[in-house]
Amino acid sequence: MPETYTAPAMSPTSLAPKRVFRATRSYFTDLWNRREFAWYLAMGNLKARNASTVLGLLWWVINPVLLGMVYWFVFGILFDRDPDEFGGLPFLVYLLSGMFPFYFTQTCMTGGVNSIVNNTALLANLQFPRVILPLAALAEAFVGFLTSLLGYYLIVGPSYGVWPAAHTLILIPTVVIHLMFNLGLSMLVARLAVPFRDLNNLVPYITRMWLYLSPILYGPSTLKKAPEWAQRIAELNPLMPILRLYRYALAGIPTDTSEALVASLVFSVVFLGVGAAWFIKYEGKIARYV
Amino acid sequence: MSDPAIVARDITVRFRPLVDKRPTLRRSLSRMRHRVAEEIVALDDLDLTVNKGEAFGVVGRNGAGKSTLLRVMAKTLRPDEGTINVYGKTSTLLQLGVGFNRQLSGRRNVYLGGLAAGLRKKEIDEKFEGIVEYASLGDAIERPVATYSSGMFSRLAFSVGMAIEPNILLLDEVLAVGDEEFREKSLATMRELLNSAGTIVFVSHALNNVAEFCDRAAWLSDGKIRSIGPAEDVVDQYRQAVKAGRA
Repeated sequence: MPETYTAPAMSPTSLAPKRVFRATRSYFTDLWNRREFAWYLAMGNLKARNASTVLGLLWWVINPVLLGMVYWFVFGILFDRDPDEFGGLPFLVYLLSGMFPFYFTQTCMTGGVNSIVNNTALLANLQFPRVILPLAALAEAFVGFLTSLLGYYLIVGPSYGVWPAAHTLILIPTVVIHLMFNLGLSMLVARLAVPFRDLNNLVPYITRMWLYLSPILYGPSTLKKAPEWAQRIAELNPLMPILRLYRYALAGIPTDTSEALVASLVFSVVFLGVGAAWFIKYEGKIARYV
Repeated sequence: MSDPAIVARDITVRFRPLVDKRPTLRRSLSRMRHRVAEEIVALDDLDLTVNKGEAFGVVGRNGAGKSTLLRVMAKTLRPDEGTINVYGKTSTLLQLGVGFNRQLSGRRNVYLGGLAAGLRKKEIDEKFEGIVEYASLGDAIERPVATYSSGMFSRLAFSVGMAIEPNILLLDEVLAVGDEEFREKSLATMRELLNSAGTIVFVSHALNNVAEFCDRAAWLSDGKIRSIGPAEDVVDQYRQAVKAGRA
């Protein structure tokens, strides 16, 4: 069987719905067949990153812990915090239960931006569904996130007696929704970074701004004191309902869980849908830029 | 007339380069205003048929479109116009060690490279011993690839590249790998491939290798075929043109 491959017919915009469906299905079959590759790519990067350090994989726990400590020292010790602001919880518990999930999203964003740009040799030489690259970045970040959850309980468990309980079960749908959101985001930035390499320079500022706009370093009441327009921007933050769910799951801070689940699911589905469609449609052009 | 392995019809590839050859601030600003830079036609309405059992060389100066042609054949670059048919399983060695991670062990990289090339993990399990033996790495397979000599690296990469048992091999300058002994071995493997109706497309600046190894060759210039025919003749023509400064 010859593998024919003609230029213009590939453009999804010109296809009838039935053919779009068929093309999409074969794309995902292809993706499924290559799942081992995605996994090895992610685990390879994970192993390689700390292969030459003394502490090795322990860095996946140490990194978020140190990061949390820095923010805790600056915003918890140097600044005088009112405990009521955090639902009566110690600031550290409040901080880390938001910080680690945020860090996961941040890692996905950085990983997504680099996933295409850093793998030009693969892209020039081999055929595979390009989605594998942001997907591998997601898997890599996810392993880091899971170890950071371990680190979370290692810190707040012995010191404040915060351990997993019944409310922690909501972590399961929360993580699924969060994964969908992060994958969508990762594909969006991966696709954007191909023609617009400048994104690489911008991402640290975007994530920092995002961190400060999210109620992670401060309580939700602080936001109410901000000017009207700043509150409006903060309300658009798609991470907000996800963070509320994490705060409930990890620290037991009460929230309207069903409302938060619906809101976060809507955001995630939109991000994933738009991200995937935009990325896959663009795939054929990626080679032009590598 | 023998069976075709690769048939390219009316292939045109245009690039809109984003990277300036000499980046300056002023250029960056002008690039922002007119995002559509002038196009470069890398392949211009090119027709080419490569037959089964044939070693086909591609020569030409830098920027003539040689690598672009190989990428079109590897189907990692979709042409703007035209069709390409490839009859067989292709292994692309435009670079060696694609998918490798130098921090990791040779063993791990056999899996990475093999999976990247499209093998299943189970298939690699089966072929693993053979791959390591062919690369004659021995115990070094457990060491990080970063500690390998360039010869060892190339041997492993070539061995992994051949592990998918291709019918069609796309090579870009990689014949010049390893020591004399391994070069002989890899050449023998490639001849074996040709004898079993396999196909090799070989892009190189090493004109002697092209003349010696290939049956036919094409001379590319500005995305067009300037000359095509028996490898020795094409190489001769190209050599004379280079000497005369007309390449």
